[in-house]
Amino acid sequence: MIYGAWICLLSPLAAAGLITLAGERISRRGAGYLATLSCFVAFGGAVASFVGLLERAGSQRTVVSTAWTWISGGSYRSGFEVIIDPLSVFMMLIVAGVGALIVGYSIGYMDGDNEERRYFAYMALFVFSMLLLVQGGNLLILLAGWGMVGLSSYLLIGFWHERPSAIAAAKKAFIMNAIGDATMALALFLLIKKAGSVEFFVLGGRYSSTVATLVALGLLGGAVAKSAQLPLQTWLPDAMEGPTPVSALIHAATMVTAGVYLIVRTHSIFESAPHVADLAAGLGAATLLLAGLIALVQVDIKRVIAYSTMSQIGYMFLGVGVGAYANGMFHLMTHAFFKALLFMAAGIVIHALADEQDIRKMGGLRQLMPRTYLAFLIGSLALVGIFPFGGFFSKDSILAAAIDRGAYGYVLWVAGLAGTFLTGLYTFRLLFLVFWGEPSPFVREHFHALKRDVVGVSLAVPVAILAVLSVVGGWIQWAPLWHPIETWLQTVAEPTVSPKSWQEAVSSALALLLGLGGIFLAWLVYGVRRVAVPRFAFTQRVLEHKFYFDELYDALFYQPTVWAAKSLYRWVENPLVDESSNSLGQDTRDLGRLVARAQTGLLRTYALAIASSVAVLAVVFVAVR
Amino acid sequence: MGPGTAWYLAVAGFLFGVGALGVLIRRNPLIVLLSLEIMLNGANLALIAFARHLNNGAGQIFALAVMAVAASEVVVGLGLIVALNRKRVPLDVDRLSSLRG
Repeated sequence: MIYGAWICLLSPLAAAGLITLAGERISRRGAGYLATLSCFVAFGGAVASFVGLLERAGSQRTVVSTAWTWISGGSYRSGFEVIIDPLSVFMMLIVAGVGALIVGYSIGYMDGDNEERRYFAYMALFVFSMLLLVQGGNLLILLAGWGMVGLSSYLLIGFWHERPSAIAAAKKAFIMNAIGDATMALALFLLIKKAGSVEFFVLGGRYSSTVATLVALGLLGGAVAKSAQLPLQTWLPDAMEGPTPVSALIHAATMVTAGVYLIVRTHSIFESAPHVADLAAGLGAATLLLAGLIALVQVDIKRVIAYSTMSQIGYMFLGVGVGAYANGMFHLMTHAFFKALLFMAAGIVIHALADEQDIRKMGGLRQLMPRTYLAFLIGSLALVGIFPFGGFFSKDSILAAAIDRGAYGYVLWVAGLAGTFLTGLYTFRLLFLVFWGEPSPFVREHFHALKRDVVGVSLAVPVAILAVLSVVGGWIQWAPLWHPIETWLQTVAEPTVSPKSWQEAVSSALALLLGLGGIFLAWLVYGVRRVAVPRFAFTQRVLEHKFYFDELYDALFYQPTVWAAKSLYRWVENPLVDESSNSLGQDTRDLGRLVARAQTGLLRTYALAIASSVAVLAVVFVAVR
Repeated sequence: MGPGTAWYLAVAGFLFGVGALGVLIRRNPLIVLLSLEIMLNGANLALIAFARHLNNGAGQIFALAVMAVAASEVVVGLGLIVALNRKRVPLDVDRLSSLRG
């Protein structure tokens, strides 16, 4: 079991190292196979850990394996250790499993790219970083994984480094994440000062409410940045500049789900700081509405899905914020399935249309690629939460948990229900625009179907597997009838809310109705086009500018920084540093010029100088004696 | 008994002065070298005079050493002058001033 966990952690790292070191001795496709194999080995390790935990009794399902003492100083000590408990194994299975499918899909998607080896090394590194994050046995290792996930995402978003927009997006993601890393590090410092340790159990200790609030706020800052929630959400849509499998990996298996995992992992500190937990739930609710609204006007196929991720992570934050940890994790799992499915189906569409991502140029793809359409339809239904697809089970139980939270919970509940309607609307707007209607001239000109070669198979097989998982994945837990995930995670994170059956029923019914309503509206407007697309110029402009968050941050942070840097240059650096060094050089040169005048180059001057000096010396000698 | 040591020194000083004047005012490097030899011989004469005066042989040995150095110096100097001449550089020390700073 312990070996399984270590194999799971280290095999993607080994693959990344091997691909990097082998250089051109390994074929491009070989690098892809190696990375995929390593992720499947990691999945095998995760399964081994899972089986190992299953054999133990519930209370003994937490194992910490320490490789070596990493840092020790004074009474402080932290080891390089992995934790194997129900929560980390749950995440390991998702990360390694979905990650392996996505890396396998990349073999086809990245075929013919110039730098495939670098790509697969980065992908394996990304999976390793995320596994380090979820397996880290203390907060310090978790933070190390946290930072490495940020680094890998930076490398992969900017993978097509010849595009300036990709570089800008990579930097944006990295900086936004660095803000979160910094607040997390501050929380850890405070924790070390107060408790002297960064083990997970110290979070459950007794702290004054100020300390608990500050630590929880710091951790929440990290979670919000990594999971692209308000107010640090702006990097996620720009991250679509990376290759499509990278988007799938970021959105489904790794990275954005890390924030949810963090809150569940550190839930005891959030329980000592209930206001911060409420804040997390509120941020989640606000983000899910905001992202749902913005998704309505996006025209890039990947951006629509990106905003839907933001919105779904908002649901997870809402869930874990009100204390429904198992429900949040359950939604994380189903979301991993259907979001990877949607991204990969979208990737097939993009691939078939010669890298075009603008949905206004698409249309009528249902007749040309019926199986992709089916996969996309399953993913969309699961995303909206239509019975019997994945999202139905997980999203609705989050909403039910919200009602159980009292008056504030009702506000969250209403926001979540409104979000369901928006989800139906924007998801099926995308589906109808891309797949319904007659093939557009652009599609007729550029469409080429997948072939039955390595490329086609490696693209199609993961999508098929995920389509099946999106259908059956939700059936694992149907609260309140059966709830194995809640039981499984109980020893790590006991939920603080327990929704009653009527709350589940009401939430499910309303969410289903609202989701269907959204789909119906999308069908009227975009499917059969009975109703013209409504025009609200002002609202549309606001949504297209993503509520002006980018502009706001630009004005609040970027412009003042640039101004400060420019004025510092002009008033401090230029006069003090530049000028002083310049004048030092100038003075030295002047002095040299003065001395150089003594060097006439005439022999007689030198001889005269020597002779007269000797004469002077002789006089001095005589006089001194 | 011949003339006293002072006479020898006077002649040596005169030779040295003539040589120094030649080094300072002549422009032909050949003549400058000649003047240098005169200066050296003046110094040699002074060394030998003192050796006789103090009844100590060290000065004479020293004069021999100076002659050897002077001979090799002349070899180098004349070689340089010949080389300059072959390059058609004007033989004028005032115009050989490329070391000017």
